[in-house]
Amino acid sequence: MTWHVPEQLVSAYAVGELAGARAASIEAHVMTCAECRLTVNAEVPTERMHSIWAAVEDEVDAPRRSWAERVLSALGMADSDARLVSGAPSLHASWLLSLAAVLAFAVWASNSRSGGTTLFLILAPIVPVLAVGGSYGRGIDPTFEVSVASPYPTMRLVLLRSTAVVAASGVLALVASLFVPSGGYAAAWLLPCLALLSITLVVARWLPLPVAAAGVAACYALPLIAALVDNRDVAGVLLSASVQWTALALAVSASLFLAHDPMLRSALRRNR
Amino acid sequence: MTTAATVSEVRRRFGRTQALSGATFEIGTGVTGLLGPNGAGKTTLLRILATVAAPDSGSVSVFGRDPSVASQRVEIRRRLGYLPQEPGFQRGFSVFEFIDYVAILKEMTNRQQRHAEVRRVIDAVDLASVSGKRVRSLSGGMRRRVALGASLLGEPQFLVLDEPTAGLDPEQRLRFRELVSRAGESRAVLLSTHQTEDVAALCQDVVVLDKGRVLFQGAPSELSGVAGGRVWLADERVAGAELVWRTGEGRFRHLGAPPSGAELVEPTLEDGYLLLVGRFDEEVAA
Repeated sequence: MTWHVPEQLVSAYAVGELAGARAASIEAHVMTCAECRLTVNAEVPTERMHSIWAAVEDEVDAPRRSWAERVLSALGMADSDARLVSGAPSLHASWLLSLAAVLAFAVWASNSRSGGTTLFLILAPIVPVLAVGGSYGRGIDPTFEVSVASPYPTMRLVLLRSTAVVAASGVLALVASLFVPSGGYAAAWLLPCLALLSITLVVARWLPLPVAAAGVAACYALPLIAALVDNRDVAGVLLSASVQWTALALAVSASLFLAHDPMLRSALRRNR
Repeated sequence: MTTAATVSEVRRRFGRTQALSGATFEIGTGVTGLLGPNGAGKTTLLRILATVAAPDSGSVSVFGRDPSVASQRVEIRRRLGYLPQEPGFQRGFSVFEFIDYVAILKEMTNRQQRHAEVRRVIDAVDLASVSGKRVRSLSGGMRRRVALGASLLGEPQFLVLDEPTAGLDPEQRLRFRELVSRAGESRAVLLSTHQTEDVAALCQDVVVLDKGRVLFQGAPSELSGVAGGRVWLADERVAGAELVWRTGEGRFRHLGAPPSGAELVEPTLEDGYLLLVGRFDEEVAA
């Protein structure tokens, strides 16, 4: 004798009142029993059937999430924002590996000869700045043109991406600091880095972000490298209290300017 | 015809090149074709209408909004679908993922509704069978359809399409015509193209642009009419015509002033366009 699902169980299953093992056993049975399959099918309300299909389609189509997207979502960023941020080219492995290579070179230089730490102090602050420059812009982001023509605020995209790439590249630079002789000494790059990042975002109000980042990085690094080649005491200058205080003052001033920028405020107010 | 966008005395220069020299025209509901030779300023004009670039002088209005005002620019963008001339794609994204990404940019934050809309446009451009494939592994024509699909998200009231049929095979072009024609029944569509047959088949209005100036705006039949009485067939190539080519039947189609007794034929939109652009060259030279 063939067993069939009792009517009351079919009704309960059809409206979603059965859970766990009982629902699973009915599902296993209807796979092999055409009669019960028809009965269950007829009992399930059309609306519920549509919503189940929509959920199934949604799961099947769900875009793959990159590591960056997963980390950003875990940190509390909205899924949709995390997806846009993870599109930043400088969050791709190739970019991060290039930045890591630059830092590795600076660490090697600081360990291999006296005065090598100076090179690290010059390069470490510009790594996050270059990462910001590589996060958004024409020729950088393949969907730049479409994103500009969309209603999503450009400033918000720039800020979210900048924050994410600064965090990623900053971690790289901090880890690299641990391998530089006299770790505390090596941490002197942090305030100049903060100043350069803030200035980059201010300049990006008028210039494309990649141009702003490249310009600010060049204005900082080139004179210092020239002085280093000229055997001047660059480390002494960078470590001096006056330079550190100046960097702090620049970072605060640029941040205050940004905080009063109406476009930036409107981008941050946006509740998504 | 409801006016969707107006362009008035728009000028734009890139270095020494004057891309637009006082372009003026109106776009209404329906499909408007933008014709012009390479370097005519079509892409610059479309980028300005898509709020991606700003004019040096002149004014633009889309649905009565001024794109030079930030808040009004956002309102325009909410009603806009834009297909750039060279659409780019995020590395590693599948068709679905790319269109989903653009949907987020278009402020579709509800995941389930967004995915339903993404599926709708993927079906509309007939790419359901490759929905999970990486965009960069697809052919040029398919990639163009992916970008076209992204521009259709949210059923925008104003579609700006820069050379949408480039790289499409004949069957795809027919499907595209059906798609755009349907969109043009209730919305404004502006498309630039080199394909005069697309314009003849689709557009209720044509704008001819050359050297940054609008040479003509009117119905496709009016553009054909520009060549009225100036297209003729002969068994031999006849000197003096502005353009001559040998047809598939082995006869010679001539554009220009016909000699007496010439066998005049019905002009096409392409004839009108060629004569119009040629005449402009003469005027400038004079």
